[in-house]
Order: sequence, then structure tokens, then C-alpha cells
Amino acid sequence: MDWRWDFTFDVVIPRLWDAAGITVYATFVSFLLALVGGLILMLLKMSRNPVVSKVVTEFIEVIRATPLLVQIFFVFFLLPEAGIVLPPLTSGIIAIALYNSTLCAEVYRAGLQAVPRGQWEAATALNLSTFTAFRRIILPQSLPPIVPALGNYLIAIFKETPLLSFVAVGEIMHESKLIGSEYYRFTEAVTITGVFFLIMSLFSAQLVRIVEIRLKRSILK
Amino acid sequence: MSNPKIMFEDVLKVYGSLNVLEGLNFHVDENEVVAIIGPSGSGKTTVLRVLMTLEGIQEGIIFVDGGPLNLMRQNGQLVPASKSYIRGIRSKIGMVFQNFNLFPHMTALENCIEAPVQSKGMQKARATSEALELLNMVGLSDKRDHYPSQLSGGQQQRVAIARALAMRPEILLFDEPTSALDPEMVGEVLNVIRDLAKSGDYTILLVTHQMGFAREVADRVCFFDEGAIVEEGKPDDIFGNPQNERLKQFLSKILEAT
Repeated sequence: MDWRWDFTFDVVIPRLWDAAGITVYATFVSFLLALVGGLILMLLKMSRNPVVSKVVTEFIEVIRATPLLVQIFFVFFLLPEAGIVLPPLTSGIIAIALYNSTLCAEVYRAGLQAVPRGQWEAATALNLSTFTAFRRIILPQSLPPIVPALGNYLIAIFKETPLLSFVAVGEIMHESKLIGSEYYRFTEAVTITGVFFLIMSLFSAQLVRIVEIRLKRSILK
Repeated sequence: MSNPKIMFEDVLKVYGSLNVLEGLNFHVDENEVVAIIGPSGSGKTTVLRVLMTLEGIQEGIIFVDGGPLNLMRQNGQLVPASKSYIRGIRSKIGMVFQNFNLFPHMTALENCIEAPVQSKGMQKARATSEALELLNMVGLSDKRDHYPSQLSGGQQQRVAIARALAMRPEILLFDEPTSALDPEMVGEVLNVIRDLAKSGDYTILLVTHQMGFAREVADRVCFFDEGAIVEEGKPDDIFGNPQNERLKQFLSKILEAT
């Protein structure tokens, strides 16, 4: 294989370094939005109003049943038809956050339902208010299953960000394609992009594992 | 004669097409100990659950200390009760569950001070000293810092009793408190309940399959079948001289099993 180190260090790494920043930024902003969005979707889905619950359930179904790339295109190319013009990065973050918030909603729901009903009943019998029961009794018990699952979505979002290159967001995949077409050399840029994702994924997975262990220790002693 | 502590008037409770409580009329006097026996599915646990407001009822009315439980008086009319009204009535009632339902992320002591602090706004120091007294009473002061998973079933149930008492209820509901226990742990829990029953400080409703215990501690025994009280009376009459055919069958089956 023809690998040029001077090209790697002079051109590829400096340019990818900046692009990697955008990848990390898009990942974390999408993730935080997905965490909040998932909570809102779950609460709406569990709403006592049957219309709200039904509409949100169907909405979640539609989002989960269509490819993320189509959704990114939809936000970027079709919303302008409705008069909503968003920059590429914003469009991409919205689409990724929305897609993952439907997944997070399911994680929250599963986590809360994993807490036995008897816990709610004991809290009621002890005259705790619904809010206090949720905050003090239910939530701490539902975190151990929720947190690792959310951590996995963080890693998944990170690996979804190359899709943003399709709407010309200057993230790392997009930049490596540009380098490739400018210099007619793809080997170095694409390899380093792959290594970047590998290292970040391994690092994040380790982080999630540490958080998970510490959580288990602090909550379920 | 004062008002009964608890009164059910024509209470109907339905699950789907199944009538769990079939126009139940039932009352319990202050500081009376009533044992509820009957086959499973007879509605005996439901009596406790609707009293604890864990479940609603479809028709009828339940009074606690003369005040309606699921309704409240407003401008001379009975309207659905507000949350704060329900919480006011609920504070008189404590419940002990078949499966203990201790909070697994809290120690025995924390389980006992959670509700007094969070619900009554009691100072933590005072709640702690009261909880320690209660844990001592149920014989578990040395287990105060243990988590439920580190306790035996019998110990967990005794913590659950202490936890219920920490709210200073006037009415105690025991829902098959020994059914989930290994046989060798039943005695330690019954001893605690016996002391509470004998103290005369509490109105107690006890759903149980421990016939010997019911006979020993109860002032009155009610036999439930198909959502209604089929026979009730003094323990010696119910167990020694049952009248109803279904009660006779039930008792003979229980005796066969033990």
C-alpha cells in the first residue's frame, strides 16, 4: 500500500483535526437534545389524553421506521419548501436528535416500567406525593438500566454523524472526502477517519462502563 | 356508641366483568382487630387495597373516622375528593404488603425515616430517633444500616412493619404478611403483629391464611367469598362452630393442607 507520512502530517491531520471538532460538537449537542426530547416524548406518550398518546405513539413509529438519512434530507431539503431554511449543521443535528429521542423515549419507558408496581404502592401507602415518590423512590431504581442504554446511544449517535456529510456539513467524513477529491488520494484521510471513530468509540464505551459501575455502587449497594 | 372507625356501604368494585366486591357492607370499630379469611379471589385483599386508596371503587362509599374516603363534602354535596383531602385521610392508614415492598436502594433505617421526613416534614434527627425505637421494637436495631437485599424475608417484613408504624397510623392493614415467607420466619413476624394487636392502640385489618393466628389475635373473623362477607363472628364461633356450608368446606380444606 502506498502510504505517505508527509502528506498525512502536513495535510490530512491538520484538516481532519478541525473537522473532528465539528463531529464531536454535533454528537454531544444531538445527544443532549435527544435526552430531553426523549423525556418529552415519553411523557406525552404516557399522557392520559388518548389523542395525544396516540399521535405521539404513531409519530415515534414513523420516525423509527424510516432511515435517518432520509430524515436528514427531509429537514434540509424539504423544510425550506415550507419556508423553514436551516443551515446544514442545524438541520443535521435536529434530525439526529429527533431520531434518537424516539429511541431514548423507549429506554426511559422501559426503565420506569422495570420498577415493580409494588414500589409505587408502598410509596402511596406511606402517603408520599406522586412527585416525591417518583423522585425519591422510582427514579433512583430506574437509573441503573437507563444509563448504560443511553450511553450506547451516545456511541451510536457518534457513528451516525458521517451521514451529515450528505448535506455538506464539514464534519470529519466530509472533510476526508474533500481531501480525497482534491489530491486524488483517499488512503490516508479515510484511514485516519476510521481510526478516529474507533478510538472515540472505545473511549466512550469505557466511559459508559465506568459510569455504569459507579452508579450501581452508589444506588443499589 | 361512637361511629365505627371504618365503614363500607354498598361498595361495588369491578375488574372487567368480574365483580370483586359485590355491594359490600362492612364496618370495623375503633381499635378492633378483624381477621379476614377466605379463598383466593374472594375479594379480601381488595378490601385493604381500596381502603389504602391503591384502587378506586365503582359504587358505594367508604368512611374512615366518619369521613368519606373517595368523596368529600362540599357545599352540602358529595364530590370526588381532592388530592390533599385523600392524603389527609390516608395519613391515618398504614399498610404492610405480602411482598414487603421495601425500598431496595435505602437501608432499613432510611426506609423508616423516608416518609416521615418527605411526607410529614419531620426533622431528620427526630425521625431517626423514632425510627430507631421502632426498629428496636421489631428486634432489628442491629440491622439499621442493612439494605433489604441483605435481610431475610422475615427481617424485611419486620422493617416494613416499622416503616408503616413510623407514620403513626391509627389503622393498620396487613395483606397476607406471612404468605411470602419461608415457614421458619413466619413466627417472628407474627410475634410483632401479635404485640400490635394486643396493645389495643390500633384498628387492625388482617388478611391471612394463618388460621391459628387469626383465632388467637382477632376480636372478629370475617369469611369472604365471591366479594361478600358470607359469615362473621367471634373467632371461636367461626372456627369452632361454622354455620355456612362454604365456610365449612374452606376450613376443612385448610385443615387438610396443614
